[in-house]
Amino acid sequence: MALLQIQEPGGKQAKPLHRRAVGIDLGTTNSLVSASCGPGVETLPDSAAQHLLPSVVHYSKGKPPLVGVEAKALLVDDPLNTIASVKRLLGKSLSELKAKQDYLPFEFDEARADGAPAILTEAGSKDVVQISADILSALVERAEASLKGALEGAVITVPAYFNDAQRQQTKDAAQLAGLNVLRLLNEPTAAAVAYGLDSNDQGNVVVFDLGGGTFDVSLLSLKNGVFEVLATGGDTSLGGDDIDHAIAEWIAAQLQESAAVAVPSVAKLRQLANAAKHELSDKPQTAIVINQFSALLEESTLKKLTADMIRRTIMSCRRVLRDAGLAVADIDNIVMVGGSTRMPLVRDAVAEFFGKTPLTDIDPDKVVAIGAGIQADVLIGNKSPDSFLLLDVNPLSLGIETMGELVEKIIPRNTTIPVAKAQEFTTFKDGQTVMSLHVVQGERELVSDCRSLARFELRDIPAMVAGAAKIRVSFQVDADGLLSVSAEELSTGKKAEIQVKPSYGLKSSVIEEMLQDSQSHAKIDMEARSIKEAQLEATQLLDAIANALLVDGNLLSREEADSLAESIKALENTMTSGGSVQIHAATEELNQASSDFAAKRMDLHIANALRGESIDAVEK
Amino acid sequence: MQSLIRNYFTLFNLPEACELDQESLSAEYRRQQGEVHPDRFANAEEPEKLRAVQLSSYLNEAYETLKSPLRRAAYLLSLRDIDVEQVNQNDLSMDLLLEQIQLREKLDELPIDESALASLDALRSEVNVKLEKQEKKFAEFFDLENFNEAKKVYHELQFLYKLSAEIDAGEEIRLGY
Repeated sequence: MALLQIQEPGGKQAKPLHRRAVGIDLGTTNSLVSASCGPGVETLPDSAAQHLLPSVVHYSKGKPPLVGVEAKALLVDDPLNTIASVKRLLGKSLSELKAKQDYLPFEFDEARADGAPAILTEAGSKDVVQISADILSALVERAEASLKGALEGAVITVPAYFNDAQRQQTKDAAQLAGLNVLRLLNEPTAAAVAYGLDSNDQGNVVVFDLGGGTFDVSLLSLKNGVFEVLATGGDTSLGGDDIDHAIAEWIAAQLQESAAVAVPSVAKLRQLANAAKHELSDKPQTAIVINQFSALLEESTLKKLTADMIRRTIMSCRRVLRDAGLAVADIDNIVMVGGSTRMPLVRDAVAEFFGKTPLTDIDPDKVVAIGAGIQADVLIGNKSPDSFLLLDVNPLSLGIETMGELVEKIIPRNTTIPVAKAQEFTTFKDGQTVMSLHVVQGERELVSDCRSLARFELRDIPAMVAGAAKIRVSFQVDADGLLSVSAEELSTGKKAEIQVKPSYGLKSSVIEEMLQDSQSHAKIDMEARSIKEAQLEATQLLDAIANALLVDGNLLSREEADSLAESIKALENTMTSGGSVQIHAATEELNQASSDFAAKRMDLHIANALRGESIDAVEK
Repeated sequence: MQSLIRNYFTLFNLPEACELDQESLSAEYRRQQGEVHPDRFANAEEPEKLRAVQLSSYLNEAYETLKSPLRRAAYLLSLRDIDVEQVNQNDLSMDLLLEQIQLREKLDELPIDESALASLDALRSEVNVKLEKQEKKFAEFFDLENFNEAKKVYHELQFLYKLSAEIDAGEEIRLGY
């Protein structure tokens, strides 16, 4: 790797102390740890020379947890105490997870007060942060044995699509495992780091990362040692596991058809499916044998089974290109990451879409960990700080709820981080002294369709007429992609702020679903939004007229009052049932109907003002 | 360390004008991020880290503003104390409104399936041609210090960019996202 061979000027001087820092790829299926040793950064093996640590933890009474291969071996026999793919559970609430029960064989701890998911095991209740921390601890132990000393820092990778809650829990798990987190790094970025350094390419790189449980695609531009993430996209629940799942279902269907043998357990089917998938990476067909039963799985069948998944990955590529404003021809390199990119079907589809053969030189299972290790080496100070820089983007839009349950986006997706943005809001009612702020994440226009991140209140706003108070809401996203929000009333300087932490039990769905929804619902959203806006406008007019009638109702004749009441009633009816056009029309009509009244009020108040009397005095 | 209140053009050593050398902007942005980015302060004390986040955020905001022709135009006008948020009815010509309605109708009339993709591309090209023309026009008025006319062109640009975003959204729907 070219950059790692760069000598410091005057390199013959005594070497500065080398500090122990590692890169960790905390994966859904497997995890790895890497460090700079000798000429370059390498992944570290365990005592059995295995680099990949299966991300599986087994708990038993009175014993420390088992992590890795030994735990994985117990998956079939002791499913309740053996936890795999914990990464899929990060940042989710118990209710969200239960909706996906078929994937999850364990028992959840219902007694937890905070609604955070925890699993009941022989060794007690274990939450997802604890389980992740146990995997990290196993990696730390391996690294400390290999590097002969305590670690001073770590870079941990997360899928680019991870939301705020998922990032925060990853960081919490690392802290629980006693790690000093130098940076959370997006996995595709780490992969580009691993590849980018041994070429002096200037140009645009697509990182295509199809792992066990997640799919990420990122577009990076490399220039003068600076990696800039132009756009990211993907799917938080698409990966090799789904391919195994599809094959397993196919096997089950074949078995049922033949009725020769009983269908084995889901775990057993998965094992068979996984083995068949690997076989097909270099053979056109493979036989699946269960007792007397045998079925032939051909590449063409696999192609059919995976067609939809592969199509979804290519869609994401197209979208990321568009977000970055680039065409296929602008892409100089495609980096393949994740075990599933060993599948020829995946490689072919990517090559066909980009019209280029993707890069596969570095082991696709190790490339992310290696990139993280390189970055850890730079951040801890072992490498010259001019070496390179990573500029990341935030993967999902961040916004705030406004009147009428609409989302005002403050930071749109794919904005380079860190970023700070502020927007001014105002009060909606006369004399309003409290403003509730609701922070949401997602692409849709209605609050109920986005993920709720946090709620907080700004109190003691001085009482003013509606619209007079100026409240500045500031969003700050740091380099790890973590958000904090503050609100300030500008005339008094009264402030309230919050660090956004995962909030459980709130209505939300998987990010990927949210993103897809956002697109297919764009039209419905727009109409829903116009209706909400029209309703808001109508409410404001109704409020204003009601207030005016209270004060100056005596200015109207009986007929005038009746006719105004009729228009009010008409608008109230239309508001609940009509579309935006009808509501607008009814609002306009009421506006017209009340214009004489408004003029009379105006005359009266001007007359009073000229006489030097206050309105209050007139009322009395 | 530089002060946070600075003209974005000065910040990047660029002349304050509509025409902008994107290469110089990017190069200078990357160079400065190399100095202030929080990653450079991963081992520093909290106050320094916080300062790095602030400076780096400011740099990002400045960069995004100058990089986008629309935001750059608004920024240039704001430097001349012209508030683009304030839209006057007579700022928008009837011709422009009619043209917008026609373009929108074209977009709305396309079938909601993949058969519309080619037409969407054609519509996008049409909008892009108009965008380019209006961007030139904006620069001309701005250079002549005719800020009122420049502001009108800015609003036309705003329409076109919005339409362009809707074409993109339309494409995503038809691709089945």
